[in-house]
Amino acid sequence: MRALGRWLTEHWIAVGSPLLLLVAWEWASATGLLREAFFPRPSTIAAHLRQLAADGTLWGHTAMTLIRIGWAFALAAVLGVSVGLAMGLWRQLRDGLDPVFAVIYPIPSVLFLPFVSFLVPPGEIALVVTTAVTSFFLIAFSTTQGVRQIDRLVVEAAVHYGARGWRLFATVLLPGALPLIFTGLRLGLGFALIVVVAVEIVAASRGLGALLWLSWQILKIEDMYATFFVIAFLGALLSYGLAAFRARLLPWVQDVAEP
Amino acid sequence: MPPPVPKVLVNEVSVTFESHGRSVLALDRISLQAHAGEFLCIVGPSGSGKSTLLRVVAGLLRQSAGAVRIEADRPGMPLTAMVFQEHALLPWRTVRDNVTFGLENRGVPRAERDARAREMLAMVGLTRFARHYPHQLSGGMKQRVGIARALANDPEVLLMDEPLAALDAQTRTIMQEELLRIWATLGKTVVYVTHSLEEALLLGDRIVLLTARPGRVSQVYSVDLGRPRGLEVRGSPAYGALLEKIWSQLREEVVRAMAEDRRGERA
Repeated sequence: MRALGRWLTEHWIAVGSPLLLLVAWEWASATGLLREAFFPRPSTIAAHLRQLAADGTLWGHTAMTLIRIGWAFALAAVLGVSVGLAMGLWRQLRDGLDPVFAVIYPIPSVLFLPFVSFLVPPGEIALVVTTAVTSFFLIAFSTTQGVRQIDRLVVEAAVHYGARGWRLFATVLLPGALPLIFTGLRLGLGFALIVVVAVEIVAASRGLGALLWLSWQILKIEDMYATFFVIAFLGALLSYGLAAFRARLLPWVQDVAEP
Repeated sequence: MPPPVPKVLVNEVSVTFESHGRSVLALDRISLQAHAGEFLCIVGPSGSGKSTLLRVVAGLLRQSAGAVRIEADRPGMPLTAMVFQEHALLPWRTVRDNVTFGLENRGVPRAERDARAREMLAMVGLTRFARHYPHQLSGGMKQRVGIARALANDPEVLLMDEPLAALDAQTRTIMQEELLRIWATLGKTVVYVTHSLEEALLLGDRIVLLTARPGRVSQVYSVDLGRPRGLEVRGSPAYGALLEKIWSQLREEVVRAMAEDRRGERA
């Protein structure tokens, strides 16, 4: 309880600002300043959210989205970190791949869906692979930078004290790159959520993106907002979760408390 | 007194750097020796290649000509261990794991590593900080860890590259006394690079003065100020006379280097 109190005194602005926004919205919709048909009161949205949760609709869609994010993120993380490390260590590979990545990376991920569907079985696998594309690039970029920004003097000292080959990689290059790898993972996870919702809007009948779009098309505006809030909440949860994980895993990084 | 036994033999070592398509001579046929158990200081104006010379002795840099030999009488032990100017600790390792890093790479068993780390951390006064990470330590403490890391490897020769240059004046003074104590305890051969003449006089048995650009051996001075030596030596007339003598020579080198810099700018 005291810990909670202390946490609140430190973070009251972060907690207070969204609450204030909700109260303002409630008031604006109630007084007619905002049209309630398009901007239902947050309290009404909350009631609909409860309803969606109670009849089970919400859980099915949320689980679907989370499973897709899970697979896509795992795929992007494994490939992104591997490719990023390789690019960080070998200049030729970096010189070769940089221009290719620079061209592909800015393309909105959803556009990869048709193209990915030619390469892998369409349906669920294509959805996951498409979701992974942008995350992969973000993770690979960060990892490459992570390797490259390691203090040369530290590497020299490690070599001087006998670290070679695999030992040098495992005790110096990998841990040295980890802070930026984690930054990449966090960005990648955030983008996996953004992209999966977009892909679900276009090409899925289940998942939070599909639910949101369906609610909009049949003008169940309250359900649309309810889904919207669930997605926003998931995003914050994933991001903070990974940040907390990082603080645990990398106790030597300064200011890990900052998310 | 028994005759000195040579430990480090630097013979006609030259180093040339390639920069912007021109080759620059950094060290020009340097020859010097450090005797077993000696505290040898290398002093020179900036640009005299002091650090370059140390890196050659450490094997971190290949000389362009000449040879370095280190007399080793204990097979399997490392020849050199370096204390770096910017400490160069691994930020992701605790103090203890930084100290045992070299031992780990050599495959020394864990129990022996830990015992060695305890011993070295006690020597530099950091026992209570074994589990801390470098970023939690002050500059002086980090440099103590750097010293403990080097000593834990039990090298034939301890190399120190301006280890106290980045510290504030008070911390530096305390660290100088600590260094003297540790050196007296272990009797290691030390090659110590510094730009501070006062520091070299306080610590060294002999002082090698280098010239600037290219670095050549200008003079070698014996520091006959007795041992054990403490800060009070700075008040003695012999200290003042020696300081005066070396400084007049060093001053000439510094002025010459500055004049060359100005010529370089005009050209």
